[in-house]
Amino acid sequence: MTHTASPAGHSPASRARRRERAAQWLFLTPALLYMAAFFGYPIIKNIVMSFQDYSISSLYTGAAPFAGLLNYRAIFSSGLFGQLAWNTAVFTVVSLAGQFTIGLVLAVFFARNFPLNGVIRALLLLPWLIPLVASATVWRWMLGQDGVINTMLESLHLAPSTGVQWLASTSVALFAVILVNIWIGIPFNMVILYSGLREIPAEVNEAAALDGVGAITRFRYITWPMLRPVVTVVVVLGFIYTIKVIDIILVITGGGPANASQTLAVESYQLSFRTFLFGQGAAMGNILILISIILALVYLRFNRAALRTEGEL
Amino acid sequence: MMKTETTARTRRTVLALAGTAALLAAASACSSSASSPAGSSKGGSSGTITLTAMDYFTSEPAHSAVGDILNSCAASVGVRITHESVANPQLMPKVLQELSSHTLPDLLMLDNPNLQQIAQTGALTPLDTAGVDLSGYYPSILAAGSYQGKAYGLAPGVNSIALIYNKSMLAAAGIAPPATWAELTTDAKKLTTAQHEGFALSADNDGEGAWQYLPFFWSSGADFANLDSAAAVQSLQLLTGMVSDGSMSKSVVNWAQSDVNDQFIAGKVAMMVNGPWQFPLLNAATSLHYGVAPIPVPAAGDTLKVPLGGEVWTVPVTSTATEQAAGKVLACMNSSANQLSYAKQVGYIPSLESAATQLAASDPSMGPFVAEVATALSRTAEVGTKYPAIATAIETAEQSALTGASSPQSALATAQTTATQGS
Amino acid sequence: MNRSARSWRSTVLALLILAVLLFPVYWMINVSLQKNATSFTTTWFPVHLSLSGYRQALSDQGGHMLVSLIVALGATAISTTVATPAAWALAKFRLPGRGWIIFIALATQMIPGIVIANALYGTYNSLHLLNSLPGLILADASLGIPFSILLMRSFMTAVPGEILDAARVDGAGRLRAFLRIAVPVSRNGIITAALFSFLFAWSDFLFALTLTTTGSVTPITLGIYQYLGAQTEQWSPVMATAVIACAPSAILLVLAQRFIASGITGGAVK
Repeated sequence: MTHTASPAGHSPASRARRRERAAQWLFLTPALLYMAAFFGYPIIKNIVMSFQDYSISSLYTGAAPFAGLLNYRAIFSSGLFGQLAWNTAVFTVVSLAGQFTIGLVLAVFFARNFPLNGVIRALLLLPWLIPLVASATVWRWMLGQDGVINTMLESLHLAPSTGVQWLASTSVALFAVILVNIWIGIPFNMVILYSGLREIPAEVNEAAALDGVGAITRFRYITWPMLRPVVTVVVVLGFIYTIKVIDIILVITGGGPANASQTLAVESYQLSFRTFLFGQGAAMGNILILISIILALVYLRFNRAALRTEGEL
Repeated sequence: MMKTETTARTRRTVLALAGTAALLAAASACSSSASSPAGSSKGGSSGTITLTAMDYFTSEPAHSAVGDILNSCAASVGVRITHESVANPQLMPKVLQELSSHTLPDLLMLDNPNLQQIAQTGALTPLDTAGVDLSGYYPSILAAGSYQGKAYGLAPGVNSIALIYNKSMLAAAGIAPPATWAELTTDAKKLTTAQHEGFALSADNDGEGAWQYLPFFWSSGADFANLDSAAAVQSLQLLTGMVSDGSMSKSVVNWAQSDVNDQFIAGKVAMMVNGPWQFPLLNAATSLHYGVAPIPVPAAGDTLKVPLGGEVWTVPVTSTATEQAAGKVLACMNSSANQLSYAKQVGYIPSLESAATQLAASDPSMGPFVAEVATALSRTAEVGTKYPAIATAIETAEQSALTGASSPQSALATAQTTATQGS
Repeated sequence: MNRSARSWRSTVLALLILAVLLFPVYWMINVSLQKNATSFTTTWFPVHLSLSGYRQALSDQGGHMLVSLIVALGATAISTTVATPAAWALAKFRLPGRGWIIFIALATQMIPGIVIANALYGTYNSLHLLNSLPGLILADASLGIPFSILLMRSFMTAVPGEILDAARVDGAGRLRAFLRIAVPVSRNGIITAALFSFLFAWSDFLFALTLTTTGSVTPITLGIYQYLGAQTEQWSPVMATAVIACAPSAILLVLAQRFIASGITGGAVK
């Protein structure tokens, strides 16, 4: 912690403090400018558009009559909103739980030393590196009724001979896209958690092991608390990224069949670019952002106690 | 010890940053010339106009077919053309962006159901103003390219869908291609074995589902005003009936027309609904013998109503000089000779009646399509800019019924509510 | 002796995990090695090996790989340079409102990419930044900055304050303290963040699509779509391109993992 020891009220000291403050802000200025330019402007534009009757003509002529809460009301009264909210919740929570847990288990596993550790760990990143159009398409093929997944399940007698209708059943389609999303998200979680684990000095753990403390207890009381800051980042960011996902769903099921795998994010995109109701699309996008903000705030507040260390939020 | 380590690392970092900076500088030098917005016609040193043309034909044979026609027409008109293709799902987002920045290309291709929306904005030049002759075309094609009575887009080639069947499988089962719905249901059941299903069509929710369902929907007498009419319910029951029979796989809700085509070529489906643009692929499968028949109608003697497919080319509003030049190129693209050449390469039907008849005479397999196209209906003729919302509602209903999530009746009732409440 | 047996057991387990998780990747490579693959003409093994997909991909996409590389490197450089001091400031300086700034960084990640891309299009058009490498680099850098700030900050908060105090006592100025102490000590975090910035930029599709209108600047994520046409899809070149596109990222990751050592702070504090 930096202390600037200065007697209160003396001019040169307070000037020094102000200079110190200004210099500190300089560390932040480029980032703040960047974020204002690339994120501030679009979000303001989006908020404004959600209160307008914005059609394709508005794009060209620039004229968009003020529509008040019309777009928001249309979204909530469409009868579809309930299903969208539910799908989004299930998609996000289950994906995140899956990605994070598997990522954590793998990170812990690979924290040990064994031959070929580095190579295998690097290769496990491939799901995340492959261009989405390719991996989503391969999964779409594999999950088809005659696809490879069904073939394997049938030979293991884990599925009926007709196979599971991964993509053509309203009850299964959502889980099909969740599965793919988990697969793609594991590397992200694993890399960050692994980095975090490597930060933790080995001595404390070793000392405890020598004292006879079991592996799970060690993890719970030594590793986990020190991993908390990184875990928080991974979970919150993971949540935000997952709730925004559209490409995977668009390629694999298109949100179908019959909106079975449709989420708020995909609907927002399609409202704008399929039915050209930009005002509604913007409104739904804003609802999504609002949900993210609320849930992020809740989670961070929840975590505050555990994060009360030096320099933390 | 740590100090030297730090210095070494700092030096490495500085070197890396310097290297990247150099790369950036080189890069910006290379790209400083390519920064003008799309759509502006640059006057060359000799004063030749360069036109930009945009479409979604990224792959062959369409890309070359269109490119060749554009180039030859450009040459004959005395301009230069830059031909840009973007992938199908990205065309509309791009058009929308260019609408907002007024940087549309000089010649823009649109899938015909989208024309009304773009024309409504005022961003397109009426074709008569651009000096394009509109005589000799099928009325439905002109209607598809018109908004409020004025023509804005012209399609050099159009298409529709028909029943494509596997000749060997039908011969083995001893049946002729079905002509009515009753025959379709029975034949599909007869043709369903352990190796293949009797029938398949595309029921996805990306636009192709509605497109393929429309022949059944319209021919039953239903229309867009009442999505839940008794006739509409019957048309949907035809399809759900085949699913419960086992003659059609539920996976159709996830198949695009290309997937259906793949299934057909692989011998997993005996009859499919598809279009003549698949002929290059179908012909390449040398062991496959396929036939083409009109899509079955509800009862003998009923009129078959099919949707009109194909892309229109439009002339966005730019400057008078470029609009006139673009209009000339457009007219040239639609000459009888160019239409025939285009149609033969990509499996379309010419939109000029005379050229279409010529094609039917020279290629009998195109006969059913040519006949259909004469009476095909434009999807936006009645509902104009409301079509996308209606198509979405129809596709949701179709998928809901086919997967068994709801009955055809309730599915279409929901569709009617959704379609009428959208703004 | 017991130890090495346990190690090899771990390796076997790791390989099994790899096989399960990477099966789809195997399938992708399988498709890329077959001619005219469709969803079910693909056999379990590429019996009739055909490199035609790769030949086509390499000849069509070589230039695009270079564009992707330049854009990703540039974006990473900018992102890391801008984000690292900001992360440090948020982790160590007691600035008023820093909680809000952290939250804003978080909030930027909630905005759907298409919203940003569409808004940027208009601005870039007026500034003549469309179809330019610098323009794309700046846009892709924005993908990495908030994320890098958040990630690095979480690593940096774990750095004990005593290290900095020690440096200040030795008379180091703020900037020098940052460059000579903070940066090396947060090495893991910085490398991880830089890695992700590179990957975000490399795999960006939305900005590549939106901010280029002619074909003059085409990263490889966009190049892949050349093979997906209105009616036909050529899957072999698509998958071959995807395989080729992974290569630089994979190499980079392997190299970067070497730098992530353990217990960096141990021993630095007296």
